[in-house]
Amino acid sequence: MSTTKSDREKRQISPRKIRLAAFLGVMGPGVLAGLSDDDPAGITTYSQLGAHYGYRLMWTLTISTIALIIFQDLGARIGVVTRQGLLGLVRQKYGARSGILSASALVLANIGTMTAEFAGIAAAGQLFGLSRYITVPIAAVVVSALVLRGSFARVEKVFFALCTVFFAYIIAGFMAHPHWGAAFKGLVVPSIPFNHDAIYLATATLGTTLAPWGLAFIQSYAVDKRLSKDDLKLLRVDVWTGSLLTGVIGFFVIVTCAATLNAHGITNITDASQAAQALKPLAGTLAKDLFAVGLIGAALLAASILPLSTAYSISDLTGRPAALDDSYSEAPLFYSTFAAITVLSASLILIPGAPLITILIISQIINAVLLLPLLLYMFGISRDKRLMGEFSASTRMSAIYLVIISIVALCVTAMLWFTFAG
Amino acid sequence: MKTPPVSTINTVAKKIVGRSESALTKKSIRESLVSVSGLIGRPVRDESGRDIGRLVDIVVRNDDATYPPVSGLIVKVGQRKSYINGAKISSLTHSEIRISSLKINLEDFQRRDGESLLDADVLDHQIVDVDGLRVVRSSDLYLATLDKEVRLVGVDISFRSFVRRLFPGSLSRLPTPDHVVDWATIASLTSGTGVVRTAGHRSKLSQLRPADLADLLEDLAGREQGAFVDLLDPNLAADALEEMEEEDLQGLLRGLPAERAAELLALMEPDESAEVMRDLEIEHRDAILANMDKPTAKVLRELISFDEKVAGGMMTTHMLVIKQTDTVESAIKLLIEHKERDVVDGVLVVDSKGRLVDHIQTIELVAAKSSALIESLISAPFPTAVKIDTALDEVIEEFSNNRGSSIVVVDEKGKPIGRILADDLVDALTSDEGRA
Repeated sequence: MSTTKSDREKRQISPRKIRLAAFLGVMGPGVLAGLSDDDPAGITTYSQLGAHYGYRLMWTLTISTIALIIFQDLGARIGVVTRQGLLGLVRQKYGARSGILSASALVLANIGTMTAEFAGIAAAGQLFGLSRYITVPIAAVVVSALVLRGSFARVEKVFFALCTVFFAYIIAGFMAHPHWGAAFKGLVVPSIPFNHDAIYLATATLGTTLAPWGLAFIQSYAVDKRLSKDDLKLLRVDVWTGSLLTGVIGFFVIVTCAATLNAHGITNITDASQAAQALKPLAGTLAKDLFAVGLIGAALLAASILPLSTAYSISDLTGRPAALDDSYSEAPLFYSTFAAITVLSASLILIPGAPLITILIISQIINAVLLLPLLLYMFGISRDKRLMGEFSASTRMSAIYLVIISIVALCVTAMLWFTFAG
Repeated sequence: MKTPPVSTINTVAKKIVGRSESALTKKSIRESLVSVSGLIGRPVRDESGRDIGRLVDIVVRNDDATYPPVSGLIVKVGQRKSYINGAKISSLTHSEIRISSLKINLEDFQRRDGESLLDADVLDHQIVDVDGLRVVRSSDLYLATLDKEVRLVGVDISFRSFVRRLFPGSLSRLPTPDHVVDWATIASLTSGTGVVRTAGHRSKLSQLRPADLADLLEDLAGREQGAFVDLLDPNLAADALEEMEEEDLQGLLRGLPAERAAELLALMEPDESAEVMRDLEIEHRDAILANMDKPTAKVLRELISFDEKVAGGMMTTHMLVIKQTDTVESAIKLLIEHKERDVVDGVLVVDSKGRLVDHIQTIELVAAKSSALIESLISAPFPTAVKIDTALDEVIEEFSNNRGSSIVVVDEKGKPIGRILADDLVDALTSDEGRA
């Protein structure tokens, strides 16, 4: 047998190429779940962080990236090992009530967040002089057509193409000529002015990065991609790459705003498109355009992933088929959930006088409140030997999970406090 | 609670259990169904109505009965979880369970082989709906008194019953029997130590197409996959495994004990087994081969050693070979002996030194006199033969040149060692086109 084996190896292509090809086959869940967290709401938070406080609060990005890596990794692993989505497992392990409650909260929050993504598209379109009554319906149709008509492989390719748009932020970052030393110091040295705005922004950074829908998405997507236990090592590379990229993009958005807006005393930014507009006189039209293009790409990616995450979750919960390769007649619940979320959110943006700010704040609160139980459920599942077998969490990993859950609990409490008391 | 008199149910039940008909077609039984999800958390009382504790879970025994009997209850008494033998149940309603014996032994519960906990292992877990050919979740389970024992008789997979459980109080406990699926048509795949298994499953499952079974298997996680494979007849399981995606199948094989994997792989077509095993870890592959009988293991080892892009790696070793000096009768006998395998399109004819001479189709054999010698049937067209190391491209070319449905693979001396059928070629061509 040993001779034939070496014969085979001679005929094979170089091992490095094979490893790369294998990785490209596994890549997806981590990169997509991560980068879709850099949605318009995320970019807005990063812009505000940079514009208000310069490089000082960048360490919050470090913490949220670490939290993202740890829990996306766990979610992907749970998906591969159990072949079930998060909400289905919650129902199975924690009962029907827990499952339905989490799913209802997730659906409400996702509608709100999805509305925010469309708001991002509308705002970015307006930067190029396009009306929201053109951009939002087009975006909704494009996103739905892609997911409803494409096979898994095709949908994933389009998602990857959208991800490349994020490089716009990296280029914009270099064009802003930031103070690199101060930026890296801000990443590792924690300091914070004790006031309402600073603490609110710090917690919002964590909240916008580690989102319930992202956690639900990565697990279900890993199931839909039919990854097996052999893929776990490569999947870990994918999750790390995706989460780090998410952090890197955030880093460049913050430094762009810190080096330009903050340095020139423009600190009262309310959203990402306003940040882009403010960049124009300071860093040039190209920087503004890059920012706007990045915003559209980010919004489109998140606007595809969000309804997908909702559709997966509802199907998981009710035990109905959920796969991008299924046809509408095979998975009616999956596709109708997708369509319902998309249509509802797009309409909310287009109705004149809809209370958008209220919707956004409510969805942010639900997201924050839902995050904690979801992380605890994931923690419980990770410790369950009967579900996870040899992949159940070790004592050391459990301790790490608990530390992050405590930090999240602290942030959620602070955020709720400032939302209601502030 | 309007429970029909126990005696009538029992007579009906005897008939039903005895004739293995569906219990749920009987109206009296439908009306006496008790919802498991509603019962969990309800009081367990003694005959005089005094509380003993609250119901935590229901244990069923997985024997061969169509409807698994309740073997015990897990009851929370004070702070402690205790076990009460199922034989002591005297009455069962939507809102409480009564225990008959005056003296109740409270034991600590220990999970035994062949037992499942309905709440912890079955309710809300994935089950295979054999009728609908899909993996679903159970919304509720139903108990009824059948054949003097409380048994699990039905399962509910409807969305309505799932939502019903959210309602407060007694509303959540009322059964919605319109949506009950007979337990006999369900294959439950719990992640507990035991699978709730009933006699009904096997017959029902054996009516499914292997491709459908393969789809179901691909939808399940490791432990459930193993449990599901165990429910199947080995030959059917092997057919289903052949239809699975290679990566899914490898994952499944890793989860099975080596003996079980060996049994299934030996039943599969050798070329399919070899293709799957080629990419298994060496230790695992050797463990499986060690559990096979020597000749099968030898054939597989040889097939595995071939590259999958040459003739030897694509071929199947299943073929019928006969000498040219044999009679037509013996050839037909050989065909009948192997009617289960995909080889009955004809026989390969070899000369006295074992070299390939011709391929004679079954139809030719049937048309000939049974006493005639095979030699007399040899004529053009002669089969196309390729060497073990012939590349895929050439094999394709040979196929399209001679328009046949198979090619023979021969060794250096011209002895046939395998055949490449059209479907093997399709497999070889599609093996690279998985999901991007």
